[in-house]
Amino acid sequence: MARWRKDFLEFGDADVSNLAEINELAQRYADAVIEDFYKHLLSFEETRSYFHDPHVLQRVKNAQQEYFLRLTQGKYDLAYVEDRLSIGAIHERIDLPMKSYLGMYNFYLRAVSNRLSEAYQDQPERGRVTFLSLMKLTFLDIGLAIDTYINSRERTIREQQDAIQELPTPVLPFREGMLLVPIIGLIDTHRARLLTEQLLGAVRDNRAKVVVMDITGVQAIDSKVANHMVQTVEAARLMGAIVIVAGVSPEIAQTMVTLGIDLGRMTTVGDLQSGIERAEEILGYTVTRTRSKTSSGQ
Amino acid sequence: MRASILKQSKFLIASVQGSMTDADLVQLREDLGAGVRRHRSTGVIVDVAMLDVMDSFAVRTLRGIAQMVKLLGAECIVVGIQPDVAFSMVQLGLTLEGTTTALDLEDGLSTLRERIGAEGNPL
Repeated sequence: MARWRKDFLEFGDADVSNLAEINELAQRYADAVIEDFYKHLLSFEETRSYFHDPHVLQRVKNAQQEYFLRLTQGKYDLAYVEDRLSIGAIHERIDLPMKSYLGMYNFYLRAVSNRLSEAYQDQPERGRVTFLSLMKLTFLDIGLAIDTYINSRERTIREQQDAIQELPTPVLPFREGMLLVPIIGLIDTHRARLLTEQLLGAVRDNRAKVVVMDITGVQAIDSKVANHMVQTVEAARLMGAIVIVAGVSPEIAQTMVTLGIDLGRMTTVGDLQSGIERAEEILGYTVTRTRSKTSSGQ
Repeated sequence: MRASILKQSKFLIASVQGSMTDADLVQLREDLGAGVRRHRSTGVIVDVAMLDVMDSFAVRTLRGIAQMVKLLGAECIVVGIQPDVAFSMVQLGLTLEGTTTALDLEDGLSTLRERIGAEGNPL
């Protein structure tokens, strides 16, 4: 992978030797450049906040110097790439915004460019070529760092998706013979299958006659999942239970109509309250208030 | 292995075994038909709780039994379909339409009593 990156940047042996040539020079002006660099960083509120602690500042300065010198020390091998990746990971961890990160590189390149044109005053072409080599290498570094940023963000997104998928779906006995299944979040095929298993198992274990499945918390549904739900309702019927789907949002209703899903055998109601009322009706429950509305508040 | 048919007052209860062949199922249909006529039964329960797979032939035969019992003037209820059997049946499109189902024998019996009791038949 690093091979491809180098090829794409046309970073070759000539660049390696160009950079090696300025190693001595780099060692000479490293301190000055890094001092300027931190002066620049500390002059902005957003970047200053990372360096409140003077110990931290000193440690980072040392690391920065090491980084800076490493640019001209040759051997741009796997170890180099790993080192760069870990630097990206550190910056990601402290939540340094990408704009600051890129701005810092820009500052580096400008500072080094000035020093280079001073050092190569009598052979400007040589200076320009060396600078280009350095630019290729810094872009290699930037590419690696950005990838660590993106990777870690993607990992976060993936973890959150997993968390959503693993949201437990409780099957709650609500009254004798009645189960309540509230579904929240995203349903995909995998979760739908799990849900079916749980629901049918619960029907048997609780000897349920009516199941109220509340999908108020479901944002979207696709044809596969909708079909799966219809099948679950049918399977429950084979086990002698009626499934009432409650809380169908207008969007989901629309989707189901558009997909042409056969809703003939499915009982659906608008909200959970209607669902429970319908279920109670089927089971022969009547709910009566024992106190009038005005006195219930006491 | 033949299915056992138990007579309980006006009801017939057939337990389908896990190891039944297609021929056994057909035999069950004939036995039930004859049984309903002989005992003048008003309700039939077919318990399939022991089955862990149900192929299209079995489903068709079950539906046939239900329709036949209805034509003989009695109620038929299929009970004990297991969760995974139920779901795989639905996936295969075998939904036993028009057939009453119940969770288990107990539920099936109470459903039968409700229906037939309400129609004024002797229990």
